[in-house]
Amino acid sequence: MRQVLPWILWLWISAVIWAALFYAPLSAGFAGLDGTSPQSSRIVFFHVPMAVASFFAFLAAAWWSVRYLMKRDMRYDHAATAAIEVGLVFCVLATVTGGVWAQVQWGAFWNWDPRQTSIALAILFYGAYATLRSAIEDPEVRARISAAYSALGFIVAPFLFFIMPRMASFSLHPKPASAEMAPEIGIVVVAGILGFTALFFWMQNLRCRVLALEAKLDDTWDD
Amino acid sequence: MWRDLSIWATDWLAETRAIFSKEWRSELRTRYALNTVGLFAFTTLVVVSLSLGPAGTSAAARPFVPVLLWLILLFAASAGLPRTFVHEEESRTAIVLRLTARPSSLFCGKVLYNLTLLLAIQIVTVPLFLGMLQMPVQAPQQLVLALLVGGYGLAVGSTLIAAMVAQAQAKGPLFAVLAFPVLMPLLKFAIDATLGASATDAVLLDQASVALSLAVMYDLTLTVAGLMLFPVIWNP
Repeated sequence: MRQVLPWILWLWISAVIWAALFYAPLSAGFAGLDGTSPQSSRIVFFHVPMAVASFFAFLAAAWWSVRYLMKRDMRYDHAATAAIEVGLVFCVLATVTGGVWAQVQWGAFWNWDPRQTSIALAILFYGAYATLRSAIEDPEVRARISAAYSALGFIVAPFLFFIMPRMASFSLHPKPASAEMAPEIGIVVVAGILGFTALFFWMQNLRCRVLALEAKLDDTWDD
Repeated sequence: MWRDLSIWATDWLAETRAIFSKEWRSELRTRYALNTVGLFAFTTLVVVSLSLGPAGTSAAARPFVPVLLWLILLFAASAGLPRTFVHEEESRTAIVLRLTARPSSLFCGKVLYNLTLLLAIQIVTVPLFLGMLQMPVQAPQQLVLALLVGGYGLAVGSTLIAAMVAQAQAKGPLFAVLAFPVLMPLLKFAIDATLGASATDAVLLDQASVALSLAVMYDLTLTVAGLMLFPVIWNP
């Protein structure tokens, strides 16, 4: 089963990519600024799933951090770190694809749209988490302090993701419910969200195993 | 049961007060934090005022004035506040504190010390700032509230992050890296709330009161998070 799962994932993601390019219809609402063809809207099939996957990543990281603080088991520390490291990649990719799209649609890579604000703060926060880890040598202290920082991030996250975006009087991001789109687009986006979230957990699992091996190697060196 | 609770509360208050007065006593011996934070704030204030002049008098530049005020306060705080815990680790007094004080009263004592330190700095710098940049103040109570609420959040957040940083290696730069993402929403709220103090139109005033209540909520969140996480950070 372990060997088969990555192949299923590979097939799924390939199908999503194919569907994004050939199956999903274009939505006229996303014509470029100069009225050119709305081909740029296809980026939605990658941008939205990656943003959602990075959201799950940070949720999972907070969960594992709290687990670590309760159980003091290094496996949870590895899981949380792996989740944040891989999640950060998804986060950056979501931001970059969003920026490219924003350039085509709104005429600027960046304009402090509320969602851009939240994702920029998330990147800062988890970048700080990585810096914190590299500044502590003792594995136990590192695990404890960084788990506390990640938990702190989770506690203040509602302000970043729900309250600060509401403060702005407008957002250029379309609301999911109000955006009129063909059902096919919705299907591909949901399939993409499932695929990219699974991809995230697969990558996180790989990274987690590498971290466990590295810790083991450190232990053998010490003995 | 009520008697136990009241004994516990009296002990806790006594411990918190002991920590608080110990902090101020050792601070007044060297005046290190007061000097660093105060001079840092004053120097940046001079630079800002020198290059911008009376920015508060022009309507176009007025929205920038609270941003500058809070940037000055943030950087001044990050220059002096991390010392509360870094100093304990460096002079090896942390172990005594771990043995003698409850984490919650230690945390609250340190927060109180940092808060009073920040307020003392604000009392000196803010009037200077208002005078030098000639920021008009229509609603002084709004300004005072924004400074209090924002200062409290800065104190709680800095205390918590300082406790984390004290156990890491590169302490100085790490504090800024860790604290700024946590304090950013608070600063945004505090800036908006301060902006309301010099505003006259209803929309801005409304925005400022919303921002003020959000800042209070953020303060409460940080306090709860601090009380929950501090014991974990503090005790190995």
